[in-house]
Amino acid sequence: MELLNQISFNLQNGFDETVVELTKEAVKKQIPPKEILNNGLIAGMNVVGAKFKNHEIFLPDVLLAARAMNGAMEVLKPLLIKDGIPIKGKIVIGSVKDDLHDIGKNLVAILLKGAGFEVIDLGNDVPAEKFIRVAIEENAHVIGMSALLTTTMPVMKKVVDMAKDEGLSGKVRIIVGGAPVSKEYALEIGADAYSYDGANAVETVEGFFAEGS
Amino acid sequence: MRLIVDFASEEISFDRVEILRSQGVPHEAEVSENFERIYEGATELFHDLAELKGIMSGIEVSHFEEVFRGEGLNEKENPVEDVYRKSSSLALFAVTLGPVLSEKVTELFDNGDYADGYMLDSVSSYAANKLAELAAQHMQLELAVVEPSTSQRVLCYSPGYCGWHISGQKKLFEALHPEEIGITLNESCLMSPIKSVSGVLISGPAEIHKFVNSYPFCNTCTARSCIKRMRNLTIMNAPEDKYGTT
Repeated sequence: MELLNQISFNLQNGFDETVVELTKEAVKKQIPPKEILNNGLIAGMNVVGAKFKNHEIFLPDVLLAARAMNGAMEVLKPLLIKDGIPIKGKIVIGSVKDDLHDIGKNLVAILLKGAGFEVIDLGNDVPAEKFIRVAIEENAHVIGMSALLTTTMPVMKKVVDMAKDEGLSGKVRIIVGGAPVSKEYALEIGADAYSYDGANAVETVEGFFAEGS
Repeated sequence: MRLIVDFASEEISFDRVEILRSQGVPHEAEVSENFERIYEGATELFHDLAELKGIMSGIEVSHFEEVFRGEGLNEKENPVEDVYRKSSSLALFAVTLGPVLSEKVTELFDNGDYADGYMLDSVSSYAANKLAELAAQHMQLELAVVEPSTSQRVLCYSPGYCGWHISGQKKLFEALHPEEIGITLNESCLMSPIKSVSGVLISGPAEIHKFVNSYPFCNTCTARSCIKRMRNLTIMNAPEDKYGTT
């Protein structure tokens, strides 16, 4: 459909205002919200993701597309909820206690949103208890944690241990990342996965849902 | 020697290729018009908002040994210890871009201007490292005044890198007091404003700064900046070439 192709094209080029307007137009023309989402927005983001992977475009281009995606989702989200269409998955994310670095965490959150997940961003300096409390309250599927300092990494283990104590093992998957964090560290503390960048985090979370979160 | 220096933002010259590389763009890759616009906007914002300050204070080797020992968590073998023991002079330093740039990055992300926020963060990170280099050049110039024929090379080393544990920030702050220029330290040894750099400026002949980067922690190091620093030792600006080419 021409209108959905236009949404996809404009999203790929980061024209956020146009994407929002076209999305509103598609809703007005009574195109089902799920079709707008899948064949317009997600179709566009899939092209963006493929081009990014092939180094044809770069992170700022992806972020412009993500901004357009998020703008359009503001229009679609109430309609998707009204239609009873389930969300792809819910992720609670944050930089751990005493860590004020949040750029990497922000990028992961933006890319996850762009991939259609609902993201609850707790910001930075997040205590272990808060990750657990919000994950329980929100029925989250995944907790994502970022640490940029070796001195703040132990908070990740605290969250993993608390999740076990609260009986969340197997229900809520835990993914960790950040410059000093490694796959070995993730294994050592009992996290479910480690991601080295935003795109990899999206793939990893997609993988959780593919295998049944 | 104890100095507080206000630097002008114009003293930071941006290396577009290096900043784009930090965004994952390979050398000579073509970028979109959007990308160019975002880069130009970020560098303009930097010049509008940066408040560059530095503090430097000379320190005796015996005192620095205590500062460097920190909380006793350094790697047993590390290059910093080898370098400072051969130095001719040492100075603790801290530099900052000020709080406004980081606040602007947060504001841009909060407003959904992700690409602009991310680029401003990259530009700021680059500038913070360049500011530390300016502090080193400042010390080099000071030394040149004392001893005009000096062939000393001044390089900076920071806690959190090269086997110097991040907890070393505590003793460093106790000795330097960067609070005087608005830099504070939290429980995790993270500085605020976040775009700040601290450490020691080590002066000595170029050879003392050269080491083989095969320490166990080198495998997990993501910075790898030592390679470029050591390569630049041979072409680094002479003291009289103020803030010249590197």
